[in-house]
Amino acid sequence: MKKNFSFIYFIIFLVCTGLSCNTSFRTQSLHYNKYSINDALAKDSSLLFFLQPYSNQVNKTMNEVVGIADMSLDKKQPECTLGNFMTDAFLAMAREKYATTVDLALVNFGGLRLNELPAGDVTNGKIFELMPFDNLLILQKVRGDILQQFLDLTAARGGWPVAGMTMQIKDKKAVHVLIGGTPLNPDVVYTIANSDFIANGGDNADMLRNIPQITNGYLMRDALFDYIKLLKSQGSNISANLENRVTHAK
Amino acid sequence: MLNRKKFIRNTALSAGALMAGPSLLKAADYFTPLKLTVLHTNDTHSRLDPFPMDGGRNQGLGGIAGRSQLIHQIRKEEEHILLLDAGDIFQGTPYFNLYKGEPEIKAMSAMQYDACTIGNHDFDAGMENLATQLSRHATFPMLVANYDFTGTPMEYKTQPYKIFKKGKLTIGVFGVSIEGRGLIPDTLFGATKYLDPIEKANETADVLKRKEGCDMVICLSHLGNQYKEDRAKVSDEILAKETAAIDLIIGGHTHTFLDSPINYKNKKGDDVIVNQVGFAGIILGRLDFEFSKFSGKKMTKNHNISVSQK
Repeated sequence: MKKNFSFIYFIIFLVCTGLSCNTSFRTQSLHYNKYSINDALAKDSSLLFFLQPYSNQVNKTMNEVVGIADMSLDKKQPECTLGNFMTDAFLAMAREKYATTVDLALVNFGGLRLNELPAGDVTNGKIFELMPFDNLLILQKVRGDILQQFLDLTAARGGWPVAGMTMQIKDKKAVHVLIGGTPLNPDVVYTIANSDFIANGGDNADMLRNIPQITNGYLMRDALFDYIKLLKSQGSNISANLENRVTHAK
Repeated sequence: MLNRKKFIRNTALSAGALMAGPSLLKAADYFTPLKLTVLHTNDTHSRLDPFPMDGGRNQGLGGIAGRSQLIHQIRKEEEHILLLDAGDIFQGTPYFNLYKGEPEIKAMSAMQYDACTIGNHDFDAGMENLATQLSRHATFPMLVANYDFTGTPMEYKTQPYKIFKKGKLTIGVFGVSIEGRGLIPDTLFGATKYLDPIEKANETADVLKRKEGCDMVICLSHLGNQYKEDRAKVSDEILAKETAAIDLIIGGHTHTFLDSPINYKNKKGDDVIVNQVGFAGIILGRLDFEFSKFSGKKMTKNHNISVSQK
C-alpha cells in the first residue's frame, strides 16, 4: 500500500522533471548552531601573525595603567555606577576647563561603550573603549522649559547618567527634577555640560540643535583621563555609588 | 515526517533502480537535499583580540583568530557557505582609534567574508575613510539598498545586492541600514540620503526573487531587532512582517543575543527567519538550511527549526 503510494510520487516526479516545470528551490528546514568564540577554541596562527604588528603598536600606548578602580562599575538604567562616575568627571572637568558655573552634566546611555569597568587596574585602552568617540565636552545655556523637554527625552529612553541633578521617571517623563537641590524652574537658564553629539541632535535631542554651543575642543575622553588624575592627586581611586539620581517614580 | 520523507526517498530510489536507465541519476539528484550554511556576525566593533582577562563578564571571549579557525573548520565540512556580517565593524577598541578600520577590514577579507552591510559606526572616521578602507582592503562588497550616496565619498563604493551561486542554488543577499539623522552626526552622514528601508527591501527582494530567480533572499539589516520603548520604530520585526520575499534577516545594531532565531510570518504568510548574535564577535551564528524543490505554486512554508549550542 505504502509502496504504491511512493511509486505514485515517483511517477509525478518523473513527469515533472521530464516536462521541466519551472523548478526552483526553497528553504525547508533549519538547524541553528550558536558557537561561543572562547579560549577553548584553536587559534588561526596566520591571523595572530597578521595582527601582531598592529597590536604591538596599540599595546605600546594602551597598556599603560592610568588608575585603579576600587570596585567594578557597571552600566544599567535608570542609574548606574559607571554613569555616575563618568558624569561626575564631566561635571568636575567642565567646571575646571571652562572656569565657569556649570549646573549639571549628563551623557547619553548609549555613549557608555563598555558594559562594565572591572575592579583593579584601569588601562589607557580601557578608557578608550569606554569612550572611543572623539566627542567634545561642550556647554549649553538652556532655559528650564527646554531642559525639561530634554530630560523628558532621557526619561523616555530609560534614564541617562546625570550629575548635579536628580529626577524621577513617570510615564516616560521627567518628574520631581531637582537641580543643585532646587526644583527645576522653567524660566531659569541653566548651564549644562553635554557631548557635542547630543547637542547636535544625536539620539533625537532636536530641542538642543539650535542652542549655541560653548566649546574649547576638549574631548570627553580627556575629561575622564584628567578626572582620574585629579582623583589620584587627592588620594582617591575610581569609584561611584548609586545615589537615586534617576529613579522610577513609585 | 522525516521518516516518511526518508522512506519515500529510499523507495523512490529503488523504484528508479528497477526502472534503470539514466533517470536513476536524476532521481538521486532530486532527493538529495541541497544545503546552505550561513555563518554570521554583527556589531563586531573592532574587537580583534578577545576581551582581556580582567575579571569582566566577557573576558576571554571573541577575537578574530578563534573565529577564523572555527570558520576554517566549518569550511572543511560544508561545501556551500555564506559568511555574512550585519554592520558596525568599526569602533570600540583602540585599534580603531589608531588604524581607522584597516585591520578589521583586512581580517574580514582574510576570513573570506562574502558580504556585509553598513552600520552607523562605520561612518565614525568619516565616509572618505570608509571608502578608502573598503577600496584598499575589502575583497567582499558592502551591501545597502536604502542609502543614496550620490555626491558623497561613498558613491560607487557600495551596491544594493549581490547574487551568489552555490551549486544549484541561487542566493540573493542585500542590505538595509538605519536612519542616520539623530544617530550619526550630520558632519559624518553628510549628503547621504536615507530611503525607506521597508520600501527598498520589498523592491530589492522582489527583483532578487522574480527577476533574478533567487531560491533564497537574505537581508543583512542594521535596523535593530526590535524597540520595546517604541514599537513603531522600524526594526527587523517590522521588516519581517511588512515584506513579502525575504527568507532570512541577519540583524544587528541592538546587540541582541537571541537564544534561537525568531520565526515571523511575512505579508504573504510565509516564514521569515530573523537572527542576531550580540556583539563584539562573542558568538558566531550558524544557520544550516535544507532546501526542497518548489514548483512555483504559492504555498506557505513551515520550517522545522532545531537548535544546538557549541
